[in-house]
Amino acid sequence: MADVPVNFFHRQSHMTDETISTERSRRGFFAGASAQIGLFAIVALLWVIFSTLAPGFTSPINLFGIGRSLAVDIVIGFSQMVVLATGGMNLAVGSIGVCAVMLTGFLLQDAGMPIPVALAGGLLLGGALGWLNGFAIVKTGVNAFIITLASASLFLGAMLILSKAVPYNTLPPEVGQFGRMRIWGYVSPLLFIAIAIGAALYVLYRHTLLGRQILAAGANPRAAEMSGVPVGRVIIISHTLSGLLAATAGIMLVARLGAAMPSVGGEDWLLPSFLGPVLGGTLLAGGSVAVIGTMIGAALVTTIRSGLLVLQVGNFWLQLFLGLILLAAVMADRYRGVFLERRSLGRK
Amino acid sequence: MVLAREEFMKLLCDAIRGLAASSILAGLATFGVVGLAQASDNKIALIPGGPHPYFAPWEQAAADAKKDFGIAAVDFKVPQEWKLNLQTELVESLAAQGYTAFGIFPGDAVGINSTMTELKDSSIPSAALAGCAQDPTDAAFCLGTDVYNSAYLGTKELIKAMGGKGAIVHLAGLLVDPNTTLRVKAVETAVGETNGEVTLLQTVADTDAQEAADQKINALLAAQKDEIGGMIATGYIPSVVASKSLRTLGDKRIKFIGIDDDPIVLEAIKDGFVAGTMAQNPYGQGYIGAYVLDLLAGGGCTIKEDATWIETPQTKRFIDSGTLVINADNLTTYKDDLKKVTTDIQSSFKDKYLTCK
Amino acid sequence: MNSLLRRFLMVEWSGILAAIILGSALLAWLSPAFLTEFNIYVMLRSFCVALLVGFAQMVTLAVGQMNISVGALGGLVAVLAGGMMEKLGVPMILAIPAAIAIGALCGLLNGVLTERTGINGFIITLATASAFTGINLGITQSIPFYNMPPGLVAFGSDRFFAFPYLMIAPIIATILLGLFLSRTVPGRHLLAVGGNPHAAELSGISRGRITILAHTLSGTLAACAAILAVAQLGSAQPTIGSDWLLLSFAAPIIGGAALTGGHVSVLGTTLAVILIALIENGMVLAKVDPYWVQFVLGALILAAVWLNRWRAVKTGTD
Repeated sequence: MADVPVNFFHRQSHMTDETISTERSRRGFFAGASAQIGLFAIVALLWVIFSTLAPGFTSPINLFGIGRSLAVDIVIGFSQMVVLATGGMNLAVGSIGVCAVMLTGFLLQDAGMPIPVALAGGLLLGGALGWLNGFAIVKTGVNAFIITLASASLFLGAMLILSKAVPYNTLPPEVGQFGRMRIWGYVSPLLFIAIAIGAALYVLYRHTLLGRQILAAGANPRAAEMSGVPVGRVIIISHTLSGLLAATAGIMLVARLGAAMPSVGGEDWLLPSFLGPVLGGTLLAGGSVAVIGTMIGAALVTTIRSGLLVLQVGNFWLQLFLGLILLAAVMADRYRGVFLERRSLGRK
Repeated sequence: MVLAREEFMKLLCDAIRGLAASSILAGLATFGVVGLAQASDNKIALIPGGPHPYFAPWEQAAADAKKDFGIAAVDFKVPQEWKLNLQTELVESLAAQGYTAFGIFPGDAVGINSTMTELKDSSIPSAALAGCAQDPTDAAFCLGTDVYNSAYLGTKELIKAMGGKGAIVHLAGLLVDPNTTLRVKAVETAVGETNGEVTLLQTVADTDAQEAADQKINALLAAQKDEIGGMIATGYIPSVVASKSLRTLGDKRIKFIGIDDDPIVLEAIKDGFVAGTMAQNPYGQGYIGAYVLDLLAGGGCTIKEDATWIETPQTKRFIDSGTLVINADNLTTYKDDLKKVTTDIQSSFKDKYLTCK
Repeated sequence: MNSLLRRFLMVEWSGILAAIILGSALLAWLSPAFLTEFNIYVMLRSFCVALLVGFAQMVTLAVGQMNISVGALGGLVAVLAGGMMEKLGVPMILAIPAAIAIGALCGLLNGVLTERTGINGFIITLATASAFTGINLGITQSIPFYNMPPGLVAFGSDRFFAFPYLMIAPIIATILLGLFLSRTVPGRHLLAVGGNPHAAELSGISRGRITILAHTLSGTLAACAAILAVAQLGSAQPTIGSDWLLLSFAAPIIGGAALTGGHVSVLGTTLAVILIALIENGMVLAKVDPYWVQFVLGALILAAVWLNRWRAVKTGTD
């Protein structure tokens, strides 16, 4: 760990645009809140543009679809965010997710368990696998990237060996019905679950000792250790939480698809899991989280994608426009920030 | 080395000419059998699992179906990537925009079902094209290739080419795809029927990406090219890569049966490096699919429950869109054979499988 | 003797090397096919593209950046090269340098955008990745360019005994990159900026210019990897690069690079790529049941990393 002092400087240099952090928490909070307002404004602007250009964008069926995809993306983002907070990462989110999916499917279909028991089983497995990651990282001292890269393969492999990749597609009908359920005609209950999780995480990081300890350990492990934070334990807890959240996202997908299948999760979750948190202002270097930012970040991407689909922008070229609009959005947000900073400096 | 230029052009011209002929034929057949098609105001979307060369003929099929059957719109819409959630989002979005019927290649045979159920709840008919959705499903029917049967017939063909004995290798696709499991079973069954004359040396899976496939197949050949008597590929990518690898190796002793008609595979058949390939009928799937969906979406017709459906391990309502073996003998004519199959299925579809007012 | 061994163990990549030797011995014993000329050729050939992909990420990691667009950029370069040669009839001699130059330009774009906007490179390259893939699919509509010049295809498959000609490119790249990072001023600046951006800036190094340089280099290397992939596959497939991302990080990081920047190892990355190629080759050779492949892959990576970790703890180079 000879490079700790170096990292320390590195992190200090990024301290301005974060939401919740231990050091300078008040200023950080306000700076972060304003960054989120900016991102939120851009998402809102895109909504206005898309619904003006394409009336289908705000039709109940489309709103329902957006909300449901968004809900899963947000929870996947959270599962990465909680380890980013400690300065680590979890490449196994998708693998943990699919393990939880298959166990839930097995418990429901083959073992005939009642739904709450099966859900608890899936969540428990997710937490346990996350704990395993955390434990291995702390005990071996090997960096989280490599441990979770290997465990992603191990977990996925174990799932394949045990399930032989056979999907569970005759689950109790209530599961699929929940995924198709519409509240007020256009909101998916999954979205409420995602928001509730967000609220819980917000409280955790803002108002609890554990939350502050996690952020302190992420910002500067050595300093945190010296001031009495049990860094190892905090890292293990964060990974357990990450596993739990990945399992939650997986189980939300079971409801959404009405089936438990081995092809969900895996590597497909990797980029979306980083995208929401990083767009929202979570630092890859650790020590900060942006709970609301993660939700808005995920909403930005879902909005652009859905808007382009509704506008029927050229089939094969769609990805190009997706990239360009995303780029324009983050740049607009950035320059808005710079502009505000200059203006406030001018006033002084 | 891979394709001499003029040969490639010739192939291309053949393909274009074939397509043109087919659409004229199909067009005539339509007018003959159905009578003057009523212009309908349905909007039909044909949606593959993701960007993939197999589905390229669907674009032409969509345009032809629109013209021949007087449908307001038949559009070929491609998900950005080969991911189930992107496919379902595309379907949802198009449904929101007022599309009235969907022909879908299931990005996942199980995972697509909840979307199809939702479409049905909104009275929008959908059909599984090219590959099936796993029962229980709300897809109106499946028009495509029976993956189990195609793999089974392919293995039979391979065993025939090997003279009834030897050791074979199975190059399979994505392990988490339910279709792969069926194909693995089919190959094992066909091998089992030889009473030990043919053995299954190894199954190599997850060969659905070009580079991974190149590495695995070459490693396989390096390890046991002397023991291998034959290979069967049940995925598009491994059959392209294996065709290329066998050509590089210059070994005509190893018999190989691929799937689909990628130019690299066809060229290898022509030069004798590949014994044959299991052709599917993408154009027909798209063309007939659009035709039937148009009839269903108008509400004029419903699916006849007691029709003579084929039952496959995946679904009870299956229609074979035509599976045939392409080998050196029918390399230039197989497109006409598929065309004929397309015309036959399309012209008799209404009587056989639908109840119309 | 003992001190020699100890000194060897002090080198950070010695654990990986030991894992490679151990693995090779095991495979040679398990499968007689392992040491055949053809298998060595197959392994060396599969190592070529992967190494350049690893390097493409390594140079951005050196400055504490990431390039999420390596694969997308590679795919775009591959189809542009293929398209130029097949559709426009541009001779290979011009098309390949032009395609690599486009790759470098795409990298430059990544660098300039990251530097000028001050936005996290992760987000910038993620967005450009989407844009590059969009152009790739828009041009090809997912249909490959099949008609590559025979010379290029031969370069991708011909060999001198067990030595694939394809490997000439990565060997040159390894040497140049090694010299660049250790012997040249910009190379050393690259690591200085990654290690401690503030100190580097205080000593007069332009952090912005170095970041742009790293991204440009990354684009160039990814473009070279793409050209090799075209040669190897014999056709310009639009899917080239689609599974590079994880590999591109895994190789340098298993090879000892720090995700936070400032520390990379050309030799370590090379050995990590060899290790990965060995594991993948070994799995086919040892006829591992397909359902077990993922599990064994994970276990082997863990074992190799653990071996290296054990070495580090023992020798106190932790």
